[in-house]
Amino acid sequence: MKKKVLLMGASGSGKTSMRSMIFSNNPASLTSRLGATIDVEQNHVRFLGDLILNLWDCGGQDAFMDSYLSTQRSIIFSHVGVMIYVFDVESREMEKDLEYYRDCLEGLSQFSKDANVFLLVHKIDLVRDTERNAVVQRKTAELEKASGETPVKVFGTSIYDESLYKAWSNIVNTLIPNARNLSKHLRIFAEACSATEVILFERTTFLVIATSSRTDSSDAFPSGPVVLHALDPKRYERTSELIKAFKQSCSRLREEFRSLEMELAEFTAVLDEMTKNTYVLVVVHDPVIETAAIKMNICMARKKFEELQGDSLILEK
Amino acid sequence: MSSSSSAAISNGTIHRTKILFLGMRRSGKTSMLQVLFDDLPVKQTFYLEPTMRVAKHFIDTVIPLEIWDCPGNVTVDTLGASLADFSTIVFVIDIRDLYQHPVSKLVEFIVATCQINPDIHFEVFVHKAERLQEDDKIENFRQIHERVMDRLVDESPEFEQFPLNFHLTSIYDHSLREAFSRVLHKLIDSLPYLEELLNVFCSNTASPKAFLFDTSSKIHVATDTSPVDQATHNLCCDYLSMLNSFGPLYKSNSNDPRTSRVSPTPAPTPPPTATTSTPTSSTTPAGTPPLSSSSSPVPPSKPHFYPSAATSLSPSRPGTTLTYHLVTPHLALLALLPTTVYDMRRGLVEWNVVWFREGVREIWESGLRGVLES
Repeated sequence: MKKKVLLMGASGSGKTSMRSMIFSNNPASLTSRLGATIDVEQNHVRFLGDLILNLWDCGGQDAFMDSYLSTQRSIIFSHVGVMIYVFDVESREMEKDLEYYRDCLEGLSQFSKDANVFLLVHKIDLVRDTERNAVVQRKTAELEKASGETPVKVFGTSIYDESLYKAWSNIVNTLIPNARNLSKHLRIFAEACSATEVILFERTTFLVIATSSRTDSSDAFPSGPVVLHALDPKRYERTSELIKAFKQSCSRLREEFRSLEMELAEFTAVLDEMTKNTYVLVVVHDPVIETAAIKMNICMARKKFEELQGDSLILEK
Repeated sequence: MSSSSSAAISNGTIHRTKILFLGMRRSGKTSMLQVLFDDLPVKQTFYLEPTMRVAKHFIDTVIPLEIWDCPGNVTVDTLGASLADFSTIVFVIDIRDLYQHPVSKLVEFIVATCQINPDIHFEVFVHKAERLQEDDKIENFRQIHERVMDRLVDESPEFEQFPLNFHLTSIYDHSLREAFSRVLHKLIDSLPYLEELLNVFCSNTASPKAFLFDTSSKIHVATDTSPVDQATHNLCCDYLSMLNSFGPLYKSNSNDPRTSRVSPTPAPTPPPTATTSTPTSSTTPAGTPPLSSSSSPVPPSKPHFYPSAATSLSPSRPGTTLTYHLVTPHLALLALLPTTVYDMRRGLVEWNVVWFREGVREIWESGLRGVLES
């Protein structure tokens, strides 16, 4: 199953760097070597095995933008599942950016009415910590206004911290047909393991696919044992970031990260392969439970999850 | 390492090994020390104010340390203490600097120190190595080395064989930690015993490499005698960072007594019968098992718990597992083990860890007693 993802925004706003970090597993430090994107770069990214993301990274220089909006209009804006528009937080040409954005939104509504729209206020690391929230809120208001009738979701992001993973996990979630069903099964699995929480990650990107605590794919209120333990709300994206960084460290030694088990003072956890495309993190707060028991449970649940993934994607076609 | 730069902590009774950090203004001394010991995120070093007066870092690792961070314009006279009090002097030079000033200053200090106490270790950190390309880095490093030695020999021919160690460092990678490790190794009297313990551990468990790391600064205090491969060392530092970051993410903030775990007791300051709660324990509020501050010799109702973790690498047959075991509140054993050994001989590995832990604790505790008595 293919889903087309449009990545647009002004030249130098960070689209290609983002893509390189999330999908090509390059560390943030290497993104400085990327050059300007010429016209559209199309990438096919395999996600969760059967889902193929057709990523259209559209070069942001004015000449290209003008061409997308005119001669290439129908090619660019047809069959789009998600449009991601990137704004550089330090842009000195906000008016021009907004104008192009509005034009793109028009093109989108013309050819792909049902596409989801995500707006990223990028390079947020350039804003001082204390002002970040205020800046994101202000930009959100501005962008929502510019979007008119179209419902949009705005995120503040940076390739230097976990915010990028949060935004992209959200984006990818809208593309996975059965996130809710997966959540339900994760909850059953969590109960069987006496776990506080179980999180499913995609293997290569380590974006969060589903968790045992969300009741639906958007930022709904968590339920169950998670509320009891009042865990850090940023844990999902922080985990993605930490594991991704560690995987990169391992690859520098020509080793490949495989699994992790921890028995720390605060909790016990196991991070292991679930299916050939997913990893699972099981977090337990009961000190009596051994990591070996958790690993055995994961082993026994594997088949069920392979089934779940296979079935759901076929049904959606 | 638990550290505090305030004088509020009365450390008059403990003898601390003193290290002096010197260098020109803006050479990077404060950034280094705050990144290492105060958990300052590297990007925040941009916002640091210049150091106006001497800041002292009190660090407790396998030995108690006191590190002096000096303002750039300090001289032998304005130091506020005799040079004889220090065991090591670290001089920091910015790799892009024009060398006349730092070199003269360094030589001035060396000469002054040798008159008072010729046994002091001198180390030079050629810092901010990330600012230059590979070739320029090596070239500048070599030049600084040469200039310093030339100036020293100019001062007096007896400085020709002066043992001055140069290290290329940067806060953006682990070179700083490696350099600091080497500085620290010279100050630990018990190092041969710690190394021997590690050697025994490695030979018993078929481990190619093991380190004893300080968990908060990620500086290794000892390693077994096989050669240290930088990539392995960096991986271990990254592994430690990751584990340290995971703790607070999934930490339970509930009042459920089941989630509490007893952690190893800290430095046995008198009276030895008190069981105290430690920084590594989870939030155990009032009402949980009576271990948190009893001064009567009641044995804890739960056995001591030592955090551990293992990560397996490479799905191919001869895989490697990187293990972590907390040994004292500040020190952890990080070892590379063949995955076959870890999976099939887990019990024996854990047994070896227990003995290793006992050995390190004995060394650490006897070191502390020695320090308290002096």
